[in-house]
Amino acid sequence: MSIYLPIAEISINIFLLISLGGVVGFLSGMFGLGGGFLMTPLLIFIGIPTNVAVATSANQIVASSVSGAIGHWRQGLVDIKMGGVLLSGGILGSIVGVKFFDYLSNIGQIDAVISVLYFALLFSIGALMLIESSQVIRDRIRKKTVKKKLHYHNWAHRLPFKTKFYTSKLYISVIPPIIIGFVIGILSGTMGIGGSFILIPAMIYFLGMPTSKVIGTSLFQIIFITAIVTLLHATTTFALDAVLAVILIISSVVGAQVGVITANKLRGEDLRALLAIIVLVVAVQIAAELFIQPDDVFNFSHMANYK
Amino acid sequence: MNLKSIIIIVTVYLSLILNSNSLVIGSDENEILIDANFSGKDLLVFGAFYADPSQPREKKGDILIEVVGPKEDIVLRKKESFLGFWLNAKSVKFRDVPSFYYLSSTSKLKDSFFEKNSIGLLETNQLPEVNWSLITTEWGTVSSDEEKQEFYEALVRNKTYENVFKQTSEEIEILDGNLFKTNIPIPNTVPVGTYDVNLYLILNNKISKDYSYNFKVRRIGIESIIFNFANSFPLLYGFTSLVIALIIGWISADLFRRFRKA
Repeated sequence: MSIYLPIAEISINIFLLISLGGVVGFLSGMFGLGGGFLMTPLLIFIGIPTNVAVATSANQIVASSVSGAIGHWRQGLVDIKMGGVLLSGGILGSIVGVKFFDYLSNIGQIDAVISVLYFALLFSIGALMLIESSQVIRDRIRKKTVKKKLHYHNWAHRLPFKTKFYTSKLYISVIPPIIIGFVIGILSGTMGIGGSFILIPAMIYFLGMPTSKVIGTSLFQIIFITAIVTLLHATTTFALDAVLAVILIISSVVGAQVGVITANKLRGEDLRALLAIIVLVVAVQIAAELFIQPDDVFNFSHMANYK
Repeated sequence: MNLKSIIIIVTVYLSLILNSNSLVIGSDENEILIDANFSGKDLLVFGAFYADPSQPREKKGDILIEVVGPKEDIVLRKKESFLGFWLNAKSVKFRDVPSFYYLSSTSKLKDSFFEKNSIGLLETNQLPEVNWSLITTEWGTVSSDEEKQEFYEALVRNKTYENVFKQTSEEIEILDGNLFKTNIPIPNTVPVGTYDVNLYLILNNKISKDYSYNFKVRRIGIESIIFNFANSFPLLYGFTSLVIALIIGWISADLFRRFRKA
């Protein structure tokens, strides 16, 4: 049974969309990631136009972030002040990101740039996860315990405009979180991702935030960033497909819950190794499309899409 | 269809009596509606034609059916290898290109016929010189005639690949010698608007009779409402989509929390 997507202007099998949303939701629930970095390329693979995939993906992440943030919020694990500072950079970044996207669309380079960005992103995530999980697996086999550092002190603590972040028990400059927020905002606007997999390590290693507060805070700020990206895309590229979004949102929230339950029953590092391999396969697939000569070197697009 | 059939038969008889060339057509609909389940449609075009009865079938003339969709502006881009990457390099803007073009005849017609009557977008690329007057183009950095020709062919090829451009001489069915019938495949990717259907009766390489009518492609149902809403009130549309996302996210968090507690 196929459904007609009013903005993407194509008919597509509804079960394909539901399973795609379900699988991405499942993976995100299992690994505690947003899933946008898989959602967008997979949507493009199944034939959704790039601009629709990016805009709609951002909208879907709003729902999954809200769903995830509520739990952290109730337990008091959201640093609102830090979230706000990240957001101030993020808003600016997302405006730049969407403008950049619109510019690339008009000059016809959006598909290539998105492919390069996604390849770089997925390849580095996949490689890092594979290295990390294989080390944990190796240590498990050798029965070694790994000592972790308690606190990080680096350049982030020496910059001006220092502020107290009570929830995170930090006294650092606002410049690093604003810059981090800005960069994530650009990526969010251009790629339709939340950026938690970059945000979370950056908050831990650069800002020295306590791990317990990191996930809730990143989810909190991703809600707003992706919400702004959604609005910007709706008004700039006219590419937000509400029908596609609703299908993906419902299937992914259900998938995410199943993922959370499954994750509790399995060993984390094995799962991470598996995800790493999936991510690398997607990355290689994207790279192949960039480097292999296309069947037809000509392609066309409708000018009306970009008013 | 019954009434139409009667009209056709009557007309054929009248033609017989008057011994003149004639062309009558009918179609089963003048509107195609796109809804959520729209997956393309076959448009039935039928009618009767009448030429000289004393001649054998081959000499009775040919039927040509042309369907032209609403005009659109498109950008055609050519990928070139750049440091191993295949990137869009040159681009050409084609304005007022038919979004749908279908040409069907009972037998293969000569290029000179199309040229003389300015019919046939697809046919032009077989001519030594392309008739650019049919469409407006902005060539940008493309300058050589050879490259222009290449872009033009690519346009037709890409459109053909998407099933929106087609030229055939095998799809019109002749019944009873004077009745014809054909199904024109309208794919689910066609845009909304008015589609012109032009029929010609061709005798001795000349248009003897012609007849035109049109049908409309419209969106209906919730899809049309969403499409119009998104284009007329983009900010409100974005907000609505956001609120839906927030509500579903909130409800799901609550629902699953209870579910897990239970």
